[in-house]
Amino acid sequence: MITFKLNGKTVQGEEGQYILQVAQKYGVDIPTLCHHKALEPAGMCRLCTVELFDGRRTRFVTSCNYPIWEGMDIKTDSEAVHLGRKLIVELLMARCPDVPVLKELGEKYGISETRFKKEEDTCILCGLCTRICTKMGNSAISLTGRGVDMKVDTPFHLQTDVCMACGACASVCPTGHITLEKIRDSVTTNKFKHIPSEYDMGLKGRKPVYVPYAQAVPNTPVIDRSVCVHFKTGGCQVCKEFCGVDAIDYTMQDEVVELNVGSIILSPGYQPFDPSKFDSYGYSKHPNVITAMEMERILSASGPTAGHLVRPSDHKEPKKIAWFQCVGSRDMNKCDHAYCSSVCCMYAIKEAVIAKEHSGSGLDCAVFYMDMRTHGKDFERFYNTAKDKHGVRFIRSRVHTIEPVPGTDDLSIRYITESGESVVEVFDQIVLSVGMEISPEVIGMAKDLGIELTPGNFCQTTTFEPVATSRPGIFVCGAFQGPKDIPQSVIDSSAAASAAGEILAESRNTLTRAKEIIPETNVIGERPRIGVFVCRCGINIAGVVNVPSVAEYAATLPYVEYATDNLYSCSQDTQETMEQIIKKERLNRVVVAACTPKTHEPLFQETLINAGLNKYLFEMANIRNHDSWVHKNNPDLATQKAKDLIRSAVYKVALTMPLAEAELQIKSAALVVGGGIAGMTAARSLSLQGYETHIVEKNPVLGGQARNLYRTAKGEDIQQQLNTLMQDVNQDDNIHVHLNAELVQMDGFVGSFKSTLNAAGQETVVEHGVAVLATGASAYRPTEYHYGEDSRILTSLELDKKFMEKDSSLSSLQSAVFIQCVGSREPDRPYCSRVCCTHSIDNALILKEMNPGMNIYVLYRDIRTYGEREYLFKEAREKGIIFIRYSMDKKPEVSLNQGKLSVKLVDHILGMPLEIETDLITLATAIIPNRDEKLANFFKVPMNADGFFVERHAKLGPSEFATDGVFLCGMAHYPKPIDESIVQGKAAASRAVTLLARKTIHTSGTVAEVVPANCSTCGVCVSICPYSAPSFIEETARFNPGKAQINPVLCKGCGLCVASCRSGAIRLKGFDNDQIFAQITALNEAV
Amino acid sequence: MEHMGVEPGRLSFSWISSAESTKFVDVVKEVTATVKALGPNINFKKTAKVA
Amino acid sequence: MSEREPKIVSFLCNWCSYGAADLAGVGRMEYPPNIRVIRIPCTGRMSPKFFLAALMQGADGVWVSG
Repeated sequence: MITFKLNGKTVQGEEGQYILQVAQKYGVDIPTLCHHKALEPAGMCRLCTVELFDGRRTRFVTSCNYPIWEGMDIKTDSEAVHLGRKLIVELLMARCPDVPVLKELGEKYGISETRFKKEEDTCILCGLCTRICTKMGNSAISLTGRGVDMKVDTPFHLQTDVCMACGACASVCPTGHITLEKIRDSVTTNKFKHIPSEYDMGLKGRKPVYVPYAQAVPNTPVIDRSVCVHFKTGGCQVCKEFCGVDAIDYTMQDEVVELNVGSIILSPGYQPFDPSKFDSYGYSKHPNVITAMEMERILSASGPTAGHLVRPSDHKEPKKIAWFQCVGSRDMNKCDHAYCSSVCCMYAIKEAVIAKEHSGSGLDCAVFYMDMRTHGKDFERFYNTAKDKHGVRFIRSRVHTIEPVPGTDDLSIRYITESGESVVEVFDQIVLSVGMEISPEVIGMAKDLGIELTPGNFCQTTTFEPVATSRPGIFVCGAFQGPKDIPQSVIDSSAAASAAGEILAESRNTLTRAKEIIPETNVIGERPRIGVFVCRCGINIAGVVNVPSVAEYAATLPYVEYATDNLYSCSQDTQETMEQIIKKERLNRVVVAACTPKTHEPLFQETLINAGLNKYLFEMANIRNHDSWVHKNNPDLATQKAKDLIRSAVYKVALTMPLAEAELQIKSAALVVGGGIAGMTAARSLSLQGYETHIVEKNPVLGGQARNLYRTAKGEDIQQQLNTLMQDVNQDDNIHVHLNAELVQMDGFVGSFKSTLNAAGQETVVEHGVAVLATGASAYRPTEYHYGEDSRILTSLELDKKFMEKDSSLSSLQSAVFIQCVGSREPDRPYCSRVCCTHSIDNALILKEMNPGMNIYVLYRDIRTYGEREYLFKEAREKGIIFIRYSMDKKPEVSLNQGKLSVKLVDHILGMPLEIETDLITLATAIIPNRDEKLANFFKVPMNADGFFVERHAKLGPSEFATDGVFLCGMAHYPKPIDESIVQGKAAASRAVTLLARKTIHTSGTVAEVVPANCSTCGVCVSICPYSAPSFIEETARFNPGKAQINPVLCKGCGLCVASCRSGAIRLKGFDNDQIFAQITALNEAV
Repeated sequence: MEHMGVEPGRLSFSWISSAESTKFVDVVKEVTATVKALGPNINFKKTAKVA
Repeated sequence: MSEREPKIVSFLCNWCSYGAADLAGVGRMEYPPNIRVIRIPCTGRMSPKFFLAALMQGADGVWVSG
């Protein structure tokens, strides 16, 4: 350490440091133009000149490259220094009169106009560019010429391939003399381009060292070796010099790791279709033609425009946006993708609605589509709201060409309306709703693994084994299995995990290691001894907040026995040091002032546990995310805020008590309600994974709705497969089937449910740790279209029955009509039943096979053969099945006249009324939920307005309920075909196994607790709790009869009951009133 | 609030999802501006109690 | 400080606004340094007592966000 004087104050620096470095550390501002922390100082601009008194005389030295020595006396702001700097600035201003940074300096030194003759230059010859170029391991540019002719240039003033166009010179140039355009036009002969950010779809650039995106896991930077200058020249290494923990190792090589596994799950996903090959849309020519993925980024708050909706060409806010559906989907002409990508209709509507929300009502959004496919749960409602409430225009037309409007960046399209008119409309921006495709790499991988693919290059699977590839032991999930959205992918992934778990059940827990348990120190009754650890987080916090002063301050707070600062509190070595300190200083409360508890609290709690402290004796002060990162231009106030936040945390932690987490045994058995395909699949999966399972079926036989179905969309025989599954279930010793049974009573909670079943008058009690609700749905019995009045008017299921009975009369029919959306997508049933389009088309094809001469008509509103089901639709049209669209207000009319059956409707294309005489009408009836209120009450699970159960999370928790230990699958969730019911059955089993496999669960310590003496038995808590945690103690109980009690297992610690308790009888452990009051007090105390 | 002598502008409520960082910042700015415009809280502050 | 900076005690829901505040940090978005955050498990935990106490003890504003 070297001690010297800086502006009269005693300061310290390390041997070999320069004056400027030490001054910056102490917050003393010295202006400089030619200094860059990545480079050795050069003393070129002279602006950092300071006054040095060496004991005998005063000298002027450049602070950037003058090393410090013991006892020196530096003045950075004396009159003489000031005058010198002023002259330098004035001279520079004469050389470069238009450079902003010099103008600012001029203002600072009170120079409005230079006294010298002005030149027209922008370069101040600071040499930063040439020095950084050398640092990059290159020397493409240097200072050439002498005296007044000196300038930055390439040798012989020639464009050169030596320059790699890395842009380092432009990034350090203080005056803007060097620009990327200049490098491109007059320096390099190499190709000049930004590194496109993959996450931002190339709308933004990224660095060679980068974190792919803010939420990336792991959230650590990577070096892109293909563009990093170091890997080209061996130079640079700036990141290594700056890394505080020496984490960068350029010598690391890719490793080949060999793993022995019992099963492989493939989830390689899809790639968005690249529309560049569609010449007529001009995606690569017109900047305002973008893909939906680019639109996602533009609408995102963390996107390239920070969520501000502007179009790419001129950053103007668009007034009119159009979406083109089916770009790269349902198209054999241009891209060979005959399948439907399933997700684009919904995301286009979503983008249109968000765009409107961003821009207000002034924005016009139009979606050009062929069939609107909103077949997912609650999607049809969203579509209706978009149309009716948000005013999104939906135009049924496939647009052929996008033309630029000359002289503007706008785009003109011509389309044919449904009534046949040709319309020309101009839009500011056009979004191409690109579909999904499987990348060549994935196709290659499939080849290497020897697994079969479908015509669309998706993974080949069967309806009854929807996550099994053609090779045993290899499973698949997500979009590689077929185009699908998030909920369906999440269901798939759980199912694939289950499928792997089924074959690996024996090996479960063979590779686990037991954790050493450290005994907990009893701190009750001790005076608080608080330790405060203030994190620098490298420069993330310390670069803004004065960390040493904050730590010093923390040490003065009440009960604080120890306070220090760490470079990185979360690093392994710091964790070990903290553990030692806690033990050595006998700390009994800990505050870590660092980043956010949401990500790091568990880590530090682990440290407490390792140090023998209860993990709740801990509090974090968020001085990074809430402070240094957001107030970087205000270091003083940020430091003040950090002190306030730490004080608040200290006051709170002082009042913290150790909290217990109850351990709970999980009963190793499952109850499945419903013995249809989904329920049986779930039961079978649970059993194969080693858990005893009970199936409760209200009917006398298993099988559910599948018993009524003939064949799958892939042509498989359903009854045959169903029988195999029923046999497997019946022969499984681990599965107990209760037929004719009903659940009459249910008690308990996750881990220990107790259900009473009534099977034909006999009651049985089943104890189980988890429950799966697979109660299915049923077919709508139509009242419309003269159903029931004539034997030739059937429902889809009745037609299936005829197929199963091999009814020969079908082949002699001359004509058959299918009417879609019978009972679905109606005002009082505003959802799509998802399966009927495929079902009807498949049945139409069966009829066509029986009698190729039969005239078959499908009357529809939108054909929703999503995914590769689209091939059936295509085949049907090719085979001459006629599709006629009708609208809600002009439904087909069925008439029965003297034994003659006919359907009347208006053809949309011709605009003419049609009458079809027919021998058979099949009504594609809606799927309606069972609306089992009793069951919902037993398990405290919600139902939506339609009567389907509501899952924990529409996207991320589709196969489980918010109630712990209760899971969901099959049509009780939403109408779905067999393959999707099976996947969800397996998924529910998978989610259930995550609980069952743990054997015990720990409740959270931060739960609510009733103080019985204060409880007035009003019942508000019991009725208000969303998790049903509070209940009344029985009147006959010995202690506190009639008072409320809270089950810590069910309590999520939200505090709703605490705030609503009129008697103040409920306290929330870990967020107690006195703790929050202490925080309030702490924050309001002046420092 | 007014009944107790506190300017209603001193208390704000909002609902922000965890993904809406931009909205968060906007609301912080708005809340700060509102409170700043009201000046120091003197009406309701218990002067004796505060250090 | 020439101008007195107001102090705003903020109660943020752990799952919603607290997360948004974290994300604002990740995005390095700048905002006025006047808010002081108290993390609560859910806005359901809020009680009028809290904001009255805050105002009584000298806070210039209270902000509750779920």
